Amino acid sequence: MVDIASLSTSPEALRRDGAGPSGPKPRHVLSRRNIFLYGTLVVVALYYLLPLYVMIVTSLKGMPEIRLGNIFSPPMEITFEPWVKAWATACTGLNCDGLSRGFWNSVRITVPSVILSIAIASVNGYALANWRFKGADSFFIILIVGAFIPYQVMIYPIVIILREIGIYGTLTGLVIVHSIFGMPILTLLFRNYFTSMPEELFRAARVDGAGFWGIYLRIMLPMSLPIFVVAIILQVTGIWNDFLFGVVYTRPDTYPMTVQLNNIVNSVQGVKEYNVNMAATILTGLVPLIVYFISGKLFVRGIAAGAVKG
Amino acid sequence: MAAEIANPSVSIQDLSLNFGAVSVLQTLNLDVAEGEFIVLLGPSGCGKSTLLNCIAGLLDISEGRIFIKGKNVTWEEPKDRGIGMVFQSYALYPQMTVERNLSFGLRVAGLPKGEIAKRIARAAEILQIEPLLQRKPSALSGGQRQRVAIGRALVRDVDVFLFDEPLSNLDAKLRAELRVEIKLLHRKLQNTMIYVTHDQIEAMTLADRIAVMKGGVIQQLDAPQTIYNRPVNRFVAGFLGSPAMNFLKGQLEAGDAPMFKADGVSVPLGRYQFEGDNGHTAKPCVFGIRPEHIAFGEAASSMPFTAESTVEIVDPMGSDTLVWTKLGGQILSFRVEADKTLRNGDAIRIGLDPARASLFDDQTGNRL
Repeated sequence: MVDIASLSTSPEALRRDGAGPSGPKPRHVLSRRNIFLYGTLVVVALYYLLPLYVMIVTSLKGMPEIRLGNIFSPPMEITFEPWVKAWATACTGLNCDGLSRGFWNSVRITVPSVILSIAIASVNGYALANWRFKGADSFFIILIVGAFIPYQVMIYPIVIILREIGIYGTLTGLVIVHSIFGMPILTLLFRNYFTSMPEELFRAARVDGAGFWGIYLRIMLPMSLPIFVVAIILQVTGIWNDFLFGVVYTRPDTYPMTVQLNNIVNSVQGVKEYNVNMAATILTGLVPLIVYFISGKLFVRGIAAGAVKG
Repeated sequence: MAAEIANPSVSIQDLSLNFGAVSVLQTLNLDVAEGEFIVLLGPSGCGKSTLLNCIAGLLDISEGRIFIKGKNVTWEEPKDRGIGMVFQSYALYPQMTVERNLSFGLRVAGLPKGEIAKRIARAAEILQIEPLLQRKPSALSGGQRQRVAIGRALVRDVDVFLFDEPLSNLDAKLRAELRVEIKLLHRKLQNTMIYVTHDQIEAMTLADRIAVMKGGVIQQLDAPQTIYNRPVNRFVAGFLGSPAMNFLKGQLEAGDAPMFKADGVSVPLGRYQFEGDNGHTAKPCVFGIRPEHIAFGEAASSMPFTAESTVEIVDPMGSDTLVWTKLGGQILSFRVEADKTLRNGDAIRIGLDPARASLFDDQTGNRL
């Protein structure tokens, strides 16, 4: 039998007394660790936000105020004139209809390129992951190597190819170029995602009698929303921000927004209208910015989902 | 090998499968009778699941032929083979409701709506999943999911069911429940079923015949009791039975009264049934005896062979107790009723009947 009296001095009893640490460990808000951590975060955030602040502030000032040189001070008199001018009347070359032309060109380039490249790449990835055809590995390696060849090497050959098939300088040509260059990274993304899906699901669908397209459309597609979101973000921002292909493969009246922005900002004639330049730049960057804001969380989740298994 | 089956439901002839230079299945032959429940049993990597995938048509075979219901299906697509398959991970389509899961194959095949509804109703009734039909798989428990997965095979109205370790993802209690349900299902449907597992209890309880596999080769194909009592080699003997069979190394003394001899032990083998005339050649051998075939105490005295020993370790297992001791310097375990109180170091008397033992060639591992 246990002696009851001896219990009172046992460690067991001491623990029950309420003496000593108990419950959650107290945390100090102003610990050295927290000061370092949040201090660094604030400094870095300011560092990255400052240019954006300057841009917004400057775009809302009139030219006389800008000439005073206080670039960090908020506008004394807020004006939206520069924004209107940047969108509707700024001149590039012979056209004086502002960025609006470039905006619609970019939309006409981005939407079909995104749809086309994702449609093809997702089927590629699905075929590579689930239908291990002969030579699948070699095909995949060739595709991935394609991602490492510098664009500059391919620019001129593609100019010739587009010229020969008669679509040089058209939006169609640029859409095709974007779709092709998106292929390696997107295929890799989709292949990895589909590989991470349970193999037995695919087998079950085969026993159920679904074929290549049946399994893709009815089983795989409904399960892969996250990776499609990632692909859409990658492509929208990538194609929207593209300058090189835009300037090489289009003509002035089909220039995408980025090229037009460059032409506005870098024009050598007349006065430098900093406020218009800033407004034009923000307008151009607005699309990717909005895409990130809307889908930030999904983006991270999808990237993680696609990256875990190789 | 069992007798020829006249009209096999599934017949596998000289099947081989190689992945590059690796040979996974080697000229394998297997005939499954109509309505038979056959279990492919073996450790992981023995090729049992691979064989099942070959039968299902999910893997292209390297050589040989597969017949299902007398039809050569070697080059057929899975859907045209008349099979239904149940997977270990359930493999339910996550974005579809249970009902859509069940009907998927039928919709792909383009069956009329009335027929689909009829078949789903029947399967749901048999498996008692009617209340779950409108739920998504994520809202089901493991046991319910596996029931739906079985239902998906059921609605296909096929001749042959293939089970790929269907209970391995479930906890022990559910596993036992579903095992009984599968057995009842088989009795009700009378379909041919081929069932892959590494769990010997599932194999023993479910099978009409068990095919024990190792290294892509069927080691023994027979009724569960035969496999348990007369394993053809040391691998089969060791794989079936828990706690495992005891193995004592020693020497076979041939002659009119063959004996098994090890350090200080000599077991007369007069009552042991040798395969052929193996009893006439002396050679190194392994003496195998299951823990439940060793008698203890009073019962030991009446056995043809008895020995004195001491208790080394006692493992209480609830229903009975496993006692470890030594015989001729080699470790031996035996089962006693749970109410026997034994302590380490107790002197005991054990006995055994060589008729229930298995003798294996030390070199080849084959039964003598």
